Amino acid sequence: MAMRELVTGGAACAVPGQSSSSNPFGALANALIGSSSKQERLKEIPSSTPTASEPQFYPDGHGHLQQLPGSELDQPFMQPRTQSSEFLRNFNSVDGNRLLGNAWDEVQSSQPEPMHMPQHDRIYDMRPQLQTTLDGPPQRVLSSFLHSFVESSRGGMPFRPTPLPVLGLSAGDKQCIRDRTSIMARHFFADKSEDFINGQVNALLSSLDIDSDVNSKGPLPARFRELDDYWNESQAITKPGAHAVQGWVTEFSQHRLDHGDPNAWAHSFERQHGANGWASEFEQEQSQLMSADHMRGVNMASLAAMEQTRMLANTLAQNEEPKFQKSRFLQFVSKMNRGELIIDDNQVKPATSSGDWASEYQQQYNAGPSWADEYARGELSHGPNQWANEFNSEQEQHGSVDDQWVNQFTKLHVDDWAEDFGNQVGEGLLGDSSADSWANAYNEYMNEQAATKQRNDAARGVYVFSDMNPYVGHPNPLKVGQEMFHKGLLSEAVLALEAEVLKNPDNAEGWRLLGIAHAENDDDQQAIAGMMRAQEADPTNLEVLLALGVSHTNELEQAAALKYLYGWLRHHQKYGVLTKPELSDSLYYADVARLFNEAAQMSPDDADVHIVLGVLYNLSREYDKAIDSFRTALKLKPQDYSLWNKLGATQANSVQSADAIFAYQQLLLLFCSFQWASVSFSTDRCTGMYEDSIRYYVRALTMNPKADNGWQYLRISLSCASRNDMLEACDSRNLDVLQKEFPL
Amino acid sequence: MASGAELKSESLLELMKEHLKTDAGKEITKKIGLVYQINIAPKKIGFNEVIFTVDLKKGEVKKPDSTFSFKDDDFIKVALGKMNPQIAFMRGAMKIKGSLSAATKFTPDIFPKPAKM
Repeated sequence: MAMRELVTGGAACAVPGQSSSSNPFGALANALIGSSSKQERLKEIPSSTPTASEPQFYPDGHGHLQQLPGSELDQPFMQPRTQSSEFLRNFNSVDGNRLLGNAWDEVQSSQPEPMHMPQHDRIYDMRPQLQTTLDGPPQRVLSSFLHSFVESSRGGMPFRPTPLPVLGLSAGDKQCIRDRTSIMARHFFADKSEDFINGQVNALLSSLDIDSDVNSKGPLPARFRELDDYWNESQAITKPGAHAVQGWVTEFSQHRLDHGDPNAWAHSFERQHGANGWASEFEQEQSQLMSADHMRGVNMASLAAMEQTRMLANTLAQNEEPKFQKSRFLQFVSKMNRGELIIDDNQVKPATSSGDWASEYQQQYNAGPSWADEYARGELSHGPNQWANEFNSEQEQHGSVDDQWVNQFTKLHVDDWAEDFGNQVGEGLLGDSSADSWANAYNEYMNEQAATKQRNDAARGVYVFSDMNPYVGHPNPLKVGQEMFHKGLLSEAVLALEAEVLKNPDNAEGWRLLGIAHAENDDDQQAIAGMMRAQEADPTNLEVLLALGVSHTNELEQAAALKYLYGWLRHHQKYGVLTKPELSDSLYYADVARLFNEAAQMSPDDADVHIVLGVLYNLSREYDKAIDSFRTALKLKPQDYSLWNKLGATQANSVQSADAIFAYQQLLLLFCSFQWASVSFSTDRCTGMYEDSIRYYVRALTMNPKADNGWQYLRISLSCASRNDMLEACDSRNLDVLQKEFPL
Repeated sequence: MASGAELKSESLLELMKEHLKTDAGKEITKKIGLVYQINIAPKKIGFNEVIFTVDLKKGEVKKPDSTFSFKDDDFIKVALGKMNPQIAFMRGAMKIKGSLSAATKFTPDIFPKPAKM
């Protein structure tokens, strides 16, 4: 099951704009589901609207049909009864076909005329008795009534409620009708407004005396309800009794004769989209599906829909990618033949080739008409049923349960995630359990998606604002922001400053502080984004340029860092004369370093030059020189806590951890006096008294638990105070324990 | 030495060189005991790759146990723990050759986290 979640969730990992084409699975299923425009899709995913939230499930209708009041009726009455239930089923298959139809439409770039209309009519045309007479046996009345509803959709005419004789519909029937009409209506009136659709549906429902209340729906179906239904459906097809169904089958065979070339579909698709078009298309679709999925929450109906999708993907993967078969498959198979592969699974056995799932698949699909063939011949009108058939017959062959399908599917997916993966599985190293762990990892990652997206935005230099900001509308957010910043309440400061720059987008100081706050919160990408706005507002601000240089250095972005550090030099009153305009086009590290050295010689007492030089040496990983520069700067500017941080970071990176701890301790001392002055905290109190400093750290961290640096310092302090017993709490960031141990 | 086109990954792996000499680094080598080859491409996997060999075995290096191919940005994300390697693999941001069991030991933990200024 884990693997299946992984598949259904596959879209979310495809961050828009970053879709990887290496996920063929996803691609397959999505291509199948169709590729209509996003809006249309959302409309079509039935559950995105409350009235149609469980389109794929079959409420107890079938059971009722056999058992409920009608059962005392004679055979002739049973006949139309089953027909009506067929009709209801067809609603669903039409729904599925519509989705497929879209894919097909795009493939052929044919007219976007919905596929379901002619099909539907055909079904009805085969039933001559279906006139618009509204009397006769209840089932016939119902059929013709529904038919007239369909008819009304042609011209987009409003459908009027009609008084009907009492039909004696069971609750299950009503549910069926309600759900399916809602879906159908959305297809018929795709170009109409939601209100119109609802009006139509309500008119129909009220005529049938069906309550349109969503809450009256029955319980959610079991997970494999969908499969059961397919099973029933395919069984029904083989029964000689159902005329309509038989007609359908005949019609289907006719279609099959009409279309000769089985590969046409694949070919035309490839011609249009190339080999990868599929994948990307699927990716898109999947993300759309996912968003719809989120809209209705985790919902069994979606699972059912996904199952359907996956079934298609399953089949397609075998037939539609000759490359798969040629490379990976054959490798896989040949490996099995050589006995290198032993996977204990229903599908894969080392001894016989019939146990090999790959060849099994090939055999099956070579023997019977392939999916692609049917697709091309039948013009996909009957796709889902056929797949269901195939699926069911497979099930029959194996005489196994749904689990097996899952297993089989899991194998397939594990196999298809990437090209090389087949080989890896072939080595037998990945069993089901590891597939599970991958899925778990995937789930974990899903939670990080929002954050990742933020990061991506920030990475593009776009500042990402917080969603809920209490400071918006505050009369003077800049002042609040500055206060918060100096209190060390970085998260709050960020919010206040965001409010400020929203109010005054040209406030360079606001952006600069915002950038610094993010930098101290270890979010260099947001810092860069903020600083870039500050630089826009004030292109020559040296602090901003230096901060940008530092942040880019932290992000290991050498070229950008070099640009800003050079900009610092160029805009500096004193050292600007050193720079040459032609240099700024192509910056080389050596040139910039040389210029800064010249500047440092020019005025050896300027701490700022040494700071920039130190950053530059960090960039080139000449840590010893960087440390010298920072030390020189510190002699000139011993109260600059950020300088101690720079020194500490440099020493830590150069693996001089003992020295780094010293630097961080100095930073701590300065922090005590400078940063948290407002929490009435004096330097002498924390000098040499680590326990005290720990208390303040803990306090500070409760205010800003995201300050990674703070945790770093707390850890150092704990070590210095020989409180190794609390290190674990610190590492797990357990503030409760720490607060209890070190109350302020 | 350093030109503007230098890879971010190279900076990180240079850091790692130092990092492996520390106690923490030695612990990693003891724990992993494998040799990884990492191919870093500036823009697209397979093009202009720079090849690094990370020896976490301290033995004679004949052949890497596993070879990974990354884009520069993706490698940084993985190494700094911003992207799960398994996710990276599934998204095609990471390609693996060689032993898969060796590859499963490839975690962000083996890379140093640069201290920030």
